[in-house]
Amino acid sequence: MLEFRDLYRSFGDVIALDGLSFTVAPGELCGFLGPNGAGKTTAMRCAVGVIQPDGGSITWQDGPIDLRVRRRTGYMPEERGLYPKMRVHEQLVYLGRLHEMATADAAASASHWIDRLGLGDRSDSPVEELSLGNQQRVQLAASLVHDPELLVLDEPFSGLDPIATDVMSDVLLERARAGVAVMFSSHQLDLVEDLCETVAVISKGRLVLGGNVAELKASRGRRLRIEVDGGTAWSQRIGVDAEVVSVDEVGATVLLPPGADAAPVLDIAQQQGRLLDVHLEQPRLSELFRNAVGTTEDTLGDEFQRRSEVR
Amino acid sequence: MSAVRTVMLIAGREVRQRLRSKLFIWTTVLISVLMVGASLIPTIVSVFSIDDEVVDREPLTVAVVGDLDDARTDALEAQLGPVDFDPVADTQAASELLTDPDSSVFLAIIDGREVLVVEETGPFVGPNRGRALSIAEALAVVDLLETAGASEIVEQVLTVEPLPVQVVGADDPEEEFAGILVANIGVVFIFGLLMFYASMIVNGIIEEKGSRVVELLVEAVPVKQLMSGKVLGMGLIAIGQATVMFVPAATVLVVVNRDLIPAGVGRLAVMTVVWFLLGYAFYSLLCAGLGSLVSRPEEAQAVLTPATMLALAGYFIGFASIQAPDATWSVVAGWLPPTAPFVMLVRQAVGDPSLFEVLGSMVLLLLAIVGAALAAARIYEGGILRVGARVKMREAWKSRAL
Repeated sequence: MLEFRDLYRSFGDVIALDGLSFTVAPGELCGFLGPNGAGKTTAMRCAVGVIQPDGGSITWQDGPIDLRVRRRTGYMPEERGLYPKMRVHEQLVYLGRLHEMATADAAASASHWIDRLGLGDRSDSPVEELSLGNQQRVQLAASLVHDPELLVLDEPFSGLDPIATDVMSDVLLERARAGVAVMFSSHQLDLVEDLCETVAVISKGRLVLGGNVAELKASRGRRLRIEVDGGTAWSQRIGVDAEVVSVDEVGATVLLPPGADAAPVLDIAQQQGRLLDVHLEQPRLSELFRNAVGTTEDTLGDEFQRRSEVR
Repeated sequence: MSAVRTVMLIAGREVRQRLRSKLFIWTTVLISVLMVGASLIPTIVSVFSIDDEVVDREPLTVAVVGDLDDARTDALEAQLGPVDFDPVADTQAASELLTDPDSSVFLAIIDGREVLVVEETGPFVGPNRGRALSIAEALAVVDLLETAGASEIVEQVLTVEPLPVQVVGADDPEEEFAGILVANIGVVFIFGLLMFYASMIVNGIIEEKGSRVVELLVEAVPVKQLMSGKVLGMGLIAIGQATVMFVPAATVLVVVNRDLIPAGVGRLAVMTVVWFLLGYAFYSLLCAGLGSLVSRPEEAQAVLTPATMLALAGYFIGFASIQAPDATWSVVAGWLPPTAPFVMLVRQAVGDPSLFEVLGSMVLLLLAIVGAALAAARIYEGGILRVGARVKMREAWKSRAL
């Protein structure tokens, strides 16, 4: 298990990580989310040992992230980096060997990933001659070539076309199913929602939402959209259990708390008139995200206000 | 994986990538061929010049009074080469011919028993007096042999091969010349190669930093090993390239033109290599540390200034100490690690340092190399991952991002 525990890190006056804690288990595919500047990259660089935290700890299988662990880790940095003049296969073999692989194993693994990622005909091209999308595939191969047990990928999907996105998704899923702990950051919330079992959302250097995506959605409650013949006046008569989210000319959307029954609300609406349209949906991840990220800002604001009042 | 294997892996990549550059290969081969060509020039020149002598050289004219028999003619030609004879009436006529400013005749033989030579102005014995003396000596030998009844060996005596001459003593002019030669060439050689390969290291570091690949590397490799591998790899390239450039030419010189190599050059050439390697280790480590502070090639020159200044100081003091290799300042500069590779080589070539001074200075330089390695590694750790604007040295020293 990869465990971030109470991680702190500042750069000068800027606090990048402010007590970040969460875990990623082997076999888990975890989407690492947060607005720009939330501290995602800093957290990931800490996880692969490229920078040291000021406080707190990161452990893998209850041990420190030392060189031995780092060599079993696959890393895709935010700023892509490969030797521009080195050939694709040669470069992957070199990186594999730096991660303690025997030359023959590294060569076989490099060939495997080159084929798997559709780079077969570019195997002997210098990286600088590849398109940006293909360079990114090589970058992914570079993080996979040594068959790591932990994958830390900083925005692996940015800049990929839909086909490459599918390939990347497949590979990440396959690795997670093979027992690898995978965490990757992204701003593509819908993609993360489809792909990941778990998410960790951070804001201002701390976790604001984390856990199983389905459970998170369920805990947020469901949306019930109802349109009936005869207007929306019914929406003012629903009980305290449900909350009206929006009302327009033809219908209203109601948020049902977790576990709440939709029937009483439907009954009230039907008293108004004939049902025209009903659907019950779970909240989107993007909604949870906005809510979580927005909440911290509110909380911080409240806290600030409370402190001011104490003075 | 052992640290050694990692360092070798990184060094190996440096070497392979360099060998892949056609420009690098061809430049090296071209220089090697030019050096071999240069080392053959004396041979080529001498081959042609022997022909010239045979074909073009005007025979000297010698005035002769009375008869000159075959033995004495041979004796004369053994000394002067082919000779034209200008018979004159008597000694009086001969001396008039010699002193005539329009005449090119400088020597007269009177009856095979007496030699006249024209007076030359100047403080030293001139070439004509020297020739006259050796001719007089040869004629005397002919006389002696005839008197002793051994005329049949006159020819052998006149063309006898001299015994080999061995020059001994500290003030052997040849060795002194070799010293000055090696001192001059060695200082330029060490400085040039140091600066060249140090800047290659820095370019390599900037390439890794600029392309961000360094972030992938430090994940798997301790930075000290990363830096050591680069310095070692470039060192191997330097040795390999220098071998290809200089060894064929040196071999040709030794085989073909052995006589042209002054005595003592071999030992000093070895010392040049030793001082170069020590200097390389010291300066390349300094440059590796400094180079990690910048991300763009344009900034390399500026950030390397401290190391360049030290090397320049060594270069100039080294040159200056050729004139005063055992002066106090030369001795001091010979001990100081940054200047030692230049100055100590000069002192060994043209001065007289004790073995203690040479070894002591080497030990001091080795300690400085260890110090440079530690300092460079610390700066490197602080600087290598901070891409963007140039990192201040003090910040890199204190921060140690890793």
